[in-house]
Amino acid sequence: MKYTYYPGCSLHATGVAYDMSMRAVFGKLGAELVELEDWNCCGATAYTSIKETVAYAISARNLALAEKAGNDVVAPCSACYYVLNRTRRSLAEQPELREHVGAALAEAGLQIGFDTPVRHPLEVLLSDVGIDRIVAAQTHSIAGFRPACYYGCQIVRPFAAVDDDPELPMAMERLFCALGAAPVDFPPKVRCCGGMLVATFPEVAQELCRELTGWARERRANCIVTVCPLCQANLDLMNLDCSGKDGSPGPLPVLYFTQLIGLALGCSPREVGLRHGLAPMPMETPPLPVGPGRT
Amino acid sequence: MDAISDPRIGVYVCHCGFNIAATVDVEAVRDAAAERPKVVVSRDYPFMCSNAGQDLIKQDIRERGVNRVVVAACSPLMHEPTFRAAAEDAGLNPYLVQIANIREQCAWVHHERGPATAKAQSLVNGAVARVGLHEPLQPMRAEVTPATLIVGGGITGLQAALEVTESGNEVYVVERQSTIGGMMARFDKTFPTLDCAACILAPKMVAANRRASLHLMTMSEVESVDGFIGNFEVVIRQRARYVSRDCTSCGECVKVCPVSVPDPFNEYLSERTAIHKAFPQAIPSTYLIDRQGNPPCMEACPIHQNAAGYVSLIAAGRFAEAARLIRRRNPLPFICGRVCYAACEEACSRAEVDEPIAIRALKRFVMDWEREHEPDPQPDPPEHHHPERVAVIGSGPAGLTCAFDLAREGYQVTVLEKHDRLGGMLAIGLPGYRCPRPILERDLDYIRRLGVDMQTGKELGRDFSLEDLLSDVPGFGFKAVFLGIGAHEGRPLGIPGEDAEGVITGVEYLRNVNLGLSQPTGRHVAVIGGGNTALDAARTARREGAEVTVLYRRTRREMPADEDEFADAVAEGVRFDYLTAPVEVLTRNGRLRGLRCVRMELGEPDAGGRPRPVVLEGSDHDREFDTVIVSISQRPDRRWCDTERLAAARPLAFTEWDTLEVDPRSLATAIPGVFAGGDAVLGPATVVESMGQGRRAAEAIHKFLRGAALDDFKSHLPPEQPRRGFEERPYRQSRPYADIARLPRARTPKRPVPERLADYDEVDLGLSEAEARREAGRCLHCGVCVECRSCEEICPPQAVRLDMEDELTTVHVGQILVATGYKSFDAAKVTQYGYGRYDNVVTSLEFERMLSSTGPTGGKVVLKSGEPPRAVAIVHCVGSRDEKYNLYCSRVCCMSALKFAHLVKERTDADVYEFYIDMRAFGKGHEEFYLRVLREGTTVIRGKVAEVVPAPNRDGSDPHLLVRCEDTLIGKYREIPVDMVILCTALEAQSDAGAVGRLFSLSRSPDGFFLERHPKLDPVGTTTDGVYLAGCSQGPKDIPDSVAQAQAAAARILSLIAKGEVRIDPIRAVVNEALCGGCKTCIGLCPYQAIGFDAEAKVARVNEALCQGCGTCVAACPASAITGAGFTDDQILAELQGVLAPVGSR
Repeated sequence: MKYTYYPGCSLHATGVAYDMSMRAVFGKLGAELVELEDWNCCGATAYTSIKETVAYAISARNLALAEKAGNDVVAPCSACYYVLNRTRRSLAEQPELREHVGAALAEAGLQIGFDTPVRHPLEVLLSDVGIDRIVAAQTHSIAGFRPACYYGCQIVRPFAAVDDDPELPMAMERLFCALGAAPVDFPPKVRCCGGMLVATFPEVAQELCRELTGWARERRANCIVTVCPLCQANLDLMNLDCSGKDGSPGPLPVLYFTQLIGLALGCSPREVGLRHGLAPMPMETPPLPVGPGRT
Repeated sequence: MDAISDPRIGVYVCHCGFNIAATVDVEAVRDAAAERPKVVVSRDYPFMCSNAGQDLIKQDIRERGVNRVVVAACSPLMHEPTFRAAAEDAGLNPYLVQIANIREQCAWVHHERGPATAKAQSLVNGAVARVGLHEPLQPMRAEVTPATLIVGGGITGLQAALEVTESGNEVYVVERQSTIGGMMARFDKTFPTLDCAACILAPKMVAANRRASLHLMTMSEVESVDGFIGNFEVVIRQRARYVSRDCTSCGECVKVCPVSVPDPFNEYLSERTAIHKAFPQAIPSTYLIDRQGNPPCMEACPIHQNAAGYVSLIAAGRFAEAARLIRRRNPLPFICGRVCYAACEEACSRAEVDEPIAIRALKRFVMDWEREHEPDPQPDPPEHHHPERVAVIGSGPAGLTCAFDLAREGYQVTVLEKHDRLGGMLAIGLPGYRCPRPILERDLDYIRRLGVDMQTGKELGRDFSLEDLLSDVPGFGFKAVFLGIGAHEGRPLGIPGEDAEGVITGVEYLRNVNLGLSQPTGRHVAVIGGGNTALDAARTARREGAEVTVLYRRTRREMPADEDEFADAVAEGVRFDYLTAPVEVLTRNGRLRGLRCVRMELGEPDAGGRPRPVVLEGSDHDREFDTVIVSISQRPDRRWCDTERLAAARPLAFTEWDTLEVDPRSLATAIPGVFAGGDAVLGPATVVESMGQGRRAAEAIHKFLRGAALDDFKSHLPPEQPRRGFEERPYRQSRPYADIARLPRARTPKRPVPERLADYDEVDLGLSEAEARREAGRCLHCGVCVECRSCEEICPPQAVRLDMEDELTTVHVGQILVATGYKSFDAAKVTQYGYGRYDNVVTSLEFERMLSSTGPTGGKVVLKSGEPPRAVAIVHCVGSRDEKYNLYCSRVCCMSALKFAHLVKERTDADVYEFYIDMRAFGKGHEEFYLRVLREGTTVIRGKVAEVVPAPNRDGSDPHLLVRCEDTLIGKYREIPVDMVILCTALEAQSDAGAVGRLFSLSRSPDGFFLERHPKLDPVGTTTDGVYLAGCSQGPKDIPDSVAQAQAAAARILSLIAKGEVRIDPIRAVVNEALCGGCKTCIGLCPYQAIGFDAEAKVARVNEALCQGCGTCVAACPASAITGAGFTDDQILAELQGVLAPVGSR
């Protein structure tokens, strides 16, 4: 299993923990990640509203490069995942756009290509590796975790990453249950965290995140598990006000799902980048006893 | 003047006001037509369809000898019948008229006058060229049977039925449910008048019931429809109610029925018993029993014991009845409660939720209870008496069951047992800790009370022979014999030294110990084998004080012994050596001293599927033992039949496994009157399997003695058990069974191990009464009725008939009305509304039931907790007007939503919020009702609900639901806390509409409902003559509209009945039988199944009544043997030539 890894802007910056944990998990499961050579921004910016064709061309450059590389693309950031797939669809459906973008890419010596699938790591782990193999590779207990599994709004539609009801996906819950954790019922699991609004209308984003963390706390989760670096950042920022003193709620760690899987597979907290989160993570991950009947 | 050979054509060009004349130069068309050959008159007129226009034609026919008519006007769909009728009035055959459509396909779709006129001329030319070749076709007439079939007994079907039968005509109303009334019977109040649905429906239901000419067939469905308008032959299946018409509806049966299942009439919100009536005013008022096939436990049991029945009675605390029910089919209930291998538990549906019901433990509990409370149960005396005597050889389970069944049938049965103790393997094979003697005695006593004569010390072969039994010698004279001699001879291993002292077979060892004969057991015992007998021997040897090792040549996984047995053996200290087999008995002075063994490994699977053990080279080793018990298999003792006399006379055959050979179904041997079963036939089998054979043999013997064929058996034999896939089991799919709480299975307490080894008393202690009732309560009632027959016993008029069967009836009707109604959209599909996940999110139908005084809450509007709601949300358009589900509007939901709002306000203090897209209050009294509801203070919010979520319980108040929506009139996002959400679900076509449509040749519109003939002008007709639609089967509508359609359909039906005959258009296919080669190509192609095949004449024949004249067969016939009357090749080609001829030429 070999994949073309598209980290996007965030995973080498604020989302570095996602990058670390993803590499660790894929490594443990025998899946090879080869970073796309000379990748550029995916196009998930406001620029699309300003110069659409140019934005598409920039996005399509990644797809063209990926086509040359040959393997399926794995794009962990939800926005990258969404935008790259949107570019694929638009190029497939609009001949004029295809022409313009093709010409632009040709100038750069690239051939337009958008057949390579762009996938999300959650789906790759569930479909290509499978829950059974992940469980078989588990070496440490995560029974102390009660995650609120937060999918965010971008990976369930319009390009559904996982084959679940878009209003009620349960893919992460299934995985973490199998690994021995106790995911909680989390009604706002597909609601928006505010995304980019944290920069432009922060009070809106904060209100949305307050909803999310409020629910998580009410459902007695002890962490939130996300699939997107922006969701993780927005939710983690809520922890700035959460010292636990004077009646304010204590911090609620926000993890990437790959970090939690990594801990289950025996990675150390350092390996999965836990120190990059704003909240301490008190849950322990003792090693499992070796032999049959351990779960 | 010969109309055929000398055509005189009249052409009439219609202006149709401006419709045609504005674009087409009608005078030019008239003039051009006048020039065509054979045209004797050509006219134009503003409105040909008017009386004056028609008179023109009639006049020309009468006075000018016009014998062919061409009318250039609108589409023939509009006025072809008009002009045909006009011609007929004037004495001309109506099929000598041809219409040229110069309006819809010409004047209306073109703008330029020149080309339009030229096109009109071409069309007229075509018609003129064709009409000369028309023949005076004669329509067919068929008589109309005055009886009518109405499919569906809801308000629509009932209304139509009442209308049609008003004049004394017969109507058959076929209704699938057990009562008429349909959906309306489930509503509480109806809008806008707030009439109580039951109050206005009941009089109609009662009237329908009373009318002699109205034949109500409930629990019925149409199986097939043949024929054509006026002459339909319909086969109807009426499912059995299991209760006869003698039922007085007293309701006593409900009080004693132990089974409760979720009630579909109340949308599964409450429960009802298996025997029930759908609702108090149901018509017919006869009760019915919900029987969804045999429960799997009953099917799996070789003696067809009704496990679900006694388990349900135990759950209800009715232990005496449970014991009686068990004894109805089981002659050895005490034994089975201890040793049966419980095929029922293996088949138990509860295993799909958590673990199977501990049925055997429950049976034991009840029988132990009976022993304490009813020490002297008496069997019912048999109903008949037969003089024949039957001999049963062997008093094991097979023989005892055979004797039991035959005695109950009224025969004189004598059981002849070789040993001095009765019971066969039960007495001499099973150790006392599994099958205690007092238990066996109790079962034997009951059988004796039936009059069975049991004699011990009588051995076949020694004291008497088979011939003796069947002879007339006094003391014998039996008319039939059952051989239940078991398999009491242990098979040897076949290794050297096996005959040494100290080596014994398992059966012999156990027999000796159980009979109290001298049987020394050493200190180091080896048991060879892995079945139950081996373990019995091992555990017995432990109780005799030995160290026991079981040597088995495969592994634990392949051991046939019971899980329970094995666990007990291990607990009692029996050691197990796997993959080990003896190859030689080591002796000293003729006495056993040990075994030489080899180790094995598992190889390829053998014929039976188990891995074949393969000897590991060089693994020989010696072990010391002073007793070796060989328990690998058994076979019947054959010494009694190896006599010369028997061999010479009528030999009994044996199979290659040394078991008796019998007919697999009747268990008859080669000797007439001699039957065999049990271990003697099966090889070492289980108690209950042998009992099953005994039962089958008894049925066979009864048939034999009464001269009936040995066929059509009702009793089970193990190999014949039908295995039903889990998904087919009843009720498995219904929502309430989707989330049953997991409960642990009851565990039978056991005696502590050290105590056990000291004696042969029972190891298992029984369940307590509380545990038994709790365990029995886990039964899912998957077949619903458990056949406990409590209802049968108590019914005062004795109306319960569990042997009723479905009935097929054929009726002959002239017309059919399909009024099959609708079904509700499944709200669970709209995940974001939380239906099925959150409490208190209900559908409109569920809420109707809640509002109803006969419903699950007695008419109170309450939450699941029993508290009244503080706020209620009513959501419109769930599943309607939605691209994801149904595009159409369901028409009634806005009004029923307003009705709900009003009723909630009336019955509670709750705030009510309505979430709508548009408010559709279109009918009479609807807008006024809307206003009224608004004035009562319901808040209406225009905006589709985005989602319903549970509100976070942040401030400690009761948790409730939040409805999140956009209020589009004020442009704000709102979150409204409510306690209850009512989802107004769409009306959809029934789920089997496709199959029903095919049955009646009905098409469906894209929304799934049946297709009417014309949406504006003929909403109750269909394209199949004689079949009509009415009510919601044609599209969603409310009660007034359904009733109106019912009356419309009734009018159509009555009109045809009054006419008495129907004219069938002669535009049909006709087969030229001389040309037909019998290839049958046409038959499969006909969409109306109108072509049949005459097998004798080997030609196809068209049923003129069914044929719709589509022409498919005409085109397909490879021999050109079919012509379409009115569309012959010549006519079509002439028309083409006419159309293609240059305009303006002759």
